[in-house]
Amino acid sequence: MLLALWRACWGDGLARVGLLLLALALCAALLAPWLAPHPSRTMFDPLSPPSAAHPLGTNDLGYDLLSELLAGARTSLTLATAAALSSTLLGTVLGTVAAYHRRLGWALLRVVDVFLSVPRLALMVLVAAFVRPGMGTLLGFFVLFGWPSVARIVYARALAEGQSEYIEATQAVGASGRRIVWRHLLPATVPLAFTRFIAEMQHVIVAEAGLSFMGLGDPTTQSWGMTLSHAMRYPALLISPVWRWWALPPGLAITLVCLALTLLQLGLDRLTDPRLAAMNR
Amino acid sequence: MSSTEVRAGRLGRGHGLARAAQVALTMWLVLTLNFLLPRLMPGDPLAELDNPQGLPTPLSPEARERIRSYYGLERPLGEQYRAYLTGLARGDLGWSLSYNAPVARVLAGRLRWTLALVGVATALYLALGVVLGAASAWRRGALLDRALLVGSAVSGSVPAFFLALLLILLLGVRLRWLPLGGAQSVALLGAPWPRRAADIARHMVLPVLALVLTNVGDVAYVARNALAQVLGEGFITVARAKGLPERALLWRHALPNALLPVVSLAALRLGAVVMGAMLVEVAFAYPGMGQAIYQASMARDYPLLQGAFLVTMLTTMGANLLADALYGALDPRLRGGR
Repeated sequence: MLLALWRACWGDGLARVGLLLLALALCAALLAPWLAPHPSRTMFDPLSPPSAAHPLGTNDLGYDLLSELLAGARTSLTLATAAALSSTLLGTVLGTVAAYHRRLGWALLRVVDVFLSVPRLALMVLVAAFVRPGMGTLLGFFVLFGWPSVARIVYARALAEGQSEYIEATQAVGASGRRIVWRHLLPATVPLAFTRFIAEMQHVIVAEAGLSFMGLGDPTTQSWGMTLSHAMRYPALLISPVWRWWALPPGLAITLVCLALTLLQLGLDRLTDPRLAAMNR
Repeated sequence: MSSTEVRAGRLGRGHGLARAAQVALTMWLVLTLNFLLPRLMPGDPLAELDNPQGLPTPLSPEARERIRSYYGLERPLGEQYRAYLTGLARGDLGWSLSYNAPVARVLAGRLRWTLALVGVATALYLALGVVLGAASAWRRGALLDRALLVGSAVSGSVPAFFLALLLILLLGVRLRWLPLGGAQSVALLGAPWPRRAADIARHMVLPVLALVLTNVGDVAYVARNALAQVLGEGFITVARAKGLPERALLWRHALPNALLPVVSLAALRLGAVVMGAMLVEVAFAYPGMGQAIYQASMARDYPLLQGAFLVTMLTTMGANLLADALYGALDPRLRGGR
């Protein structure tokens, strides 16, 4: 199954570009402490243009912007991966169990429906305005609002799988419900769950940037969203060239990572939806 | 958003009545959360009122008293809740600290700007997305199709407020074609209506552009896939065999059948579009609900923030319900509650 996922990503030209872009961002995040020209949050001359010492210049507080960008890669990608992984795992397990245990499933789906009919970003804005979340709280938010959409889509897939003949046959030879859920239904939902995982990562990166931009993040975090929103709040941004090295790099970083994830999704879409593959042949 | 998600979203929609009941339940939960949040916070939510440094604008003792009586914190929680709900039913959203005016009055002037922005942008990105998707599906595998696929991927990946900044820098600052922000020029407030309308439209171009560009890709992608699927079906082959011109085939026969996923997507996206509009409003200093929420959160004007949140939330959910009803009306399979 994992091999098939890998083949779908690598075999598709666009998805391959996405994979490479993502690998680049991950490397930057992992190697950030070694790649960064200066230790994080050291003060230099404020607002200096790009130079050999500061390839992306410095911001109004005198922080080296390349070091900020690399640290931001770390924060943004860690948060996105952790949040997306947790909500995907939770949603997949709950969705599969819901498909097998009818009564439990009914109750769970009502909860899911409530979550899904709330515009989740707007709700996050309200809660964030009161709580002023740090990274941990933010992670909790994203998981709380992330799992229902995974559960919904996994449920539909597992339900369809559960009605197939081989499951009936497995039941007939006396396999336990637990075995059917864990050995048959759950694996069948992996490609879809993986697609959701990617979509969730994307959502988290964009939402974190959005919350920061609304002034609702933790001003001390070093994330792409925070650097970008800090830049966009600088009063003289529009009338001086600083936007080129202050606002542009984090904005482009967010865009490129999201693009990489979208390209991966396009490749996976063809795997999870064979009709699409047939149409494009 | 992938096509699988769109289909799953459709699966999740029950028939009208159950759906309405579920939305009503959700709305009640949202109202209750809105009530509980300030009261769950550690300490007195109004402690800021007594702190001279806590608020950017000092409050008169009468205003302070009005806020205290609105929240009524000394009364039991159940009674506060009842007062909150009856107040809401009368349209009483509380008292704004930063404007020193009723929240409902502050927001009344703002909702129409957001509605106009989201409405115009939604109409445009749906229409443009369907046309692009149709062109793409019609020439499957051609250069245009591939270019549009990459374009739609890029479109969905740029954060709307970042694109807003780029648009301001390029079209506003560099080329000086369009105003940098706001919804109208103060100098033209007393001008005759054709000039004012033109002025308002000019101010709307950039925010709408930011919203359309960031949303059109998904629609084009979903429309393309839906249409490509319909074009492969038997009745299209029959129509073609009858000798119908290709153009009629595409626009009259295939497209109407491919619109359902687009409607479904539009409903699913509504929350994201509203949120995008909020951020775009902040970027353009556009005087809508999003900017109100931003200003309120900066000034720690919690009553205004909560009011703006509630109005945005209820409008979005109402519009979503409407989209569902439209979906039911469009899909003959869902008619009659089957």
